[in-house]
Amino acid sequence: MVGLSAGERQFIYGGIAQDLRSDGRQRLQFRPISVQTGVIPQANGSARATLGATDVIASIKAELGKPAPLRPDKGKVSIFIDCSPTAAPVFEVGAGIDLSSLIVVEGKVCWDLYIDGLVISSDGNLLDALAAAIKAALSNTGIPKVSVSVGASGEDQPEVDVSDEEFMQFDTSGVPVVVTLTKVGRHYIVDATLEEESQMSSAVSVSVNRHGRVCGLIKRGGTGLDPSVVLDMVSVAKHASETLIAVLDSEIASAEAIDDDDAI
Amino acid sequence: MEYVNPLTGFRLDGRRPNEMRQIRGEIGVVAKADGSALFEMGNTKVIAAVYGPREVQNKGQQMDGQALVRCEYSMANFSTGDRARKSKGDRRSTEISLVIRQTMEASILTHLMPRSQIDIFLQVLQADGGTRSACINAATLALADAGIPMRDLVTSCSAGYLCSTPLLDLNYVEDSAGGPDVTVGTLVKMDKVTLLQMDAKLPIEMFTDVLQLAIEGCKAIANYIQEVLLENTKKLECMRGS
Amino acid sequence: MMRELHVSLNQTQKVRLQAAFQHLSDIGSQASSGLLVSVSDTIPVNNEDGILKGHGTSERDGQVVATVCGVVERVNKLVYVRALRARYKPEVGDIIVGRVIEIAPKRWKLEINFSQDAVLMLQSMNLPDGIQRRRTAVDELNMRTIFEENDVICAEVRGFQHDGSLHLQARSQKYGKLERGQLLRVPAYLVKRRKQHFHDLEQYGVDLILGCNGFIWVGEHVVPADNEMVEDQESTLKDKEQSYTPLEIRQNICRIANSVRLISALGFAISVDAIIDTAEASKSSNVDIKDMLGAEFYVQTAEREVQKRISLLKKKRG
Repeated sequence: MVGLSAGERQFIYGGIAQDLRSDGRQRLQFRPISVQTGVIPQANGSARATLGATDVIASIKAELGKPAPLRPDKGKVSIFIDCSPTAAPVFEVGAGIDLSSLIVVEGKVCWDLYIDGLVISSDGNLLDALAAAIKAALSNTGIPKVSVSVGASGEDQPEVDVSDEEFMQFDTSGVPVVVTLTKVGRHYIVDATLEEESQMSSAVSVSVNRHGRVCGLIKRGGTGLDPSVVLDMVSVAKHASETLIAVLDSEIASAEAIDDDDAI
Repeated sequence: MEYVNPLTGFRLDGRRPNEMRQIRGEIGVVAKADGSALFEMGNTKVIAAVYGPREVQNKGQQMDGQALVRCEYSMANFSTGDRARKSKGDRRSTEISLVIRQTMEASILTHLMPRSQIDIFLQVLQADGGTRSACINAATLALADAGIPMRDLVTSCSAGYLCSTPLLDLNYVEDSAGGPDVTVGTLVKMDKVTLLQMDAKLPIEMFTDVLQLAIEGCKAIANYIQEVLLENTKKLECMRGS
Repeated sequence: MMRELHVSLNQTQKVRLQAAFQHLSDIGSQASSGLLVSVSDTIPVNNEDGILKGHGTSERDGQVVATVCGVVERVNKLVYVRALRARYKPEVGDIIVGRVIEIAPKRWKLEINFSQDAVLMLQSMNLPDGIQRRRTAVDELNMRTIFEENDVICAEVRGFQHDGSLHLQARSQKYGKLERGQLLRVPAYLVKRRKQHFHDLEQYGVDLILGCNGFIWVGEHVVPADNEMVEDQESTLKDKEQSYTPLEIRQNICRIANSVRLISALGFAISVDAIIDTAEASKSSNVDIKDMLGAEFYVQTAEREVQKRISLLKKKRG
């Protein structure tokens, strides 16, 4: 837990009110974000994202499983977030993946996608960093091509042959980023550091996709928010997400380029 | 299964019986820790973070004559081949935490830091056999990075015995073959064994060979770690300037 | 190297940075003659008699060996290893910055990046009324009005007590509570002991305190109070807003703070000159405060350091 003196708290409040935070950022500016892909070679896809001193790893593993009876034409995705003993606990997120792309044989076989996030070091804004890492990891993911033997029919589980060489890439354009707005005093900021987070009254995490659509929303913190403020925050988050997506895209692209170089 | 090809003498992954996997160590991977390191042995990949020496958190555990050393080992969900959700603090992790703590404690000069506490956190990112050894090697790098005084470098390596051949540094496939797996930790320059674990049976005359092989592995790792540390020290001193 | 700061460099920046680091490493090996050792290395002493083994050394089979990584230093018969990255090693008279963790009977306990919390006794500091007298039970009850939990304060190392605890003192106007600013943490080995650790940067209206323990305070300049107790007033939110640090000074504080962050991330020694130099360089090349932590200025600062050290080396030789 961060303990701050009254003088430091006052300084943080003042900085946010005057739109100049302790590290020189404005209220709606992110810290530099950097992405490295392919950090866990054993996984289907993986990425490490750092946002200041916040450092997270996301890994994607695909396993063949059975689709849920109620949704025979969809694959499954589960997300687990874990903290290395060095950091504080987090919460779960939802992602926007085309589940239909995970189906192998309708009603019989599908891919179960396990997304694991691991926090290595925490300096605030874990959710945004995790979402960024997951997005990068997904774009780094190759799902093996599967051929199904034709003979199988009826009640039998069909036999499948998983290819070692051919992979299908994921369409990650629909995967959203998360922008968390943290309210300190009368203003709200993006990408709060641990110290700033310790002063928050409430926070709203909005996940937004490339088309500016809101995919999810969480409000945390004890203090109540005026509904109009919430709407305002959502539209600000949507705006901030555009810059974030652009930065993230270029980071992912250059990380992939380096990753490919290493492979050769 | 033939773990060693009878004709060529090579192992499944193409190594010779007394050949170690590729090792790599990197210092300073966790931003807020006093010391940290990444250590890879082939596909096995672990991160160690050291905090301290710092004020003891639980006053009841404070010792007047020496530092309290704590160790926590955990495996990432994605670290193993088949993904399984593991609960924290299961028996295997507790056992490994204890083993690593005792091994590191043998080297740390705890009497120089009385009434303080040193925490070693180990996070397995990828497990492919020899995680214990990789953790110990990572912890040694991280402790040195934190500037914590040590008697000697502790390094660890494993060796096994399959197809009538002693094998150095078993990977996951070889480890799960059910043969003996001897994990050794040594204080290299002092020529002392501080950790020795073996499950499964092995004739005593074979054991000597396997143990000797593992000790050779420890020495090779110590040489590498020494290089990494010296390189890092040089970099820190040069960057700081005079 | 870049623990706290991850910058994404493009290809040219990478090459430039690598070249700068190579230069610094070359200059470093020319300038210093100190022997570098890592844990368990033998330190050659040519079988001299009466060698005294200092910090970071130990004996094995009659030889002196290092127990930490660092630089071997000799003072007459004394051999010790100067560790680089490590927690703070206190010396009497050091000026440090710390945070109050706990209030115990007649004492405050402070976190100062040492292996234990340091102790500041009530009798080791001047009372607010400035009168020299015995501390009474009332003073003890009022300790929280002086410093409370989480307060950042500046003090001096007094020394170790018999029980092994580290004691501080704050018997001067310059010591005491620090407010209206930010606390930064850097590795202690980057802050060298000097005559002056308090810096009143008049041109910026900023106070800078370089604690020997690696805690650095950057805050609004305060005029030392004349032993007057500031009367406690219930402040409203509006008062609070009016008492915010003025924007111009805040900009200076943030610029100085980012200079410290940057120099520390690069692993360069932290001195008041280096900090001001970096801040001025960022200003003159119109670098935004937040962009001081970005890739381009990171590389530029490394390159400027190379130039600085080259000219320093020339001066020494010429």
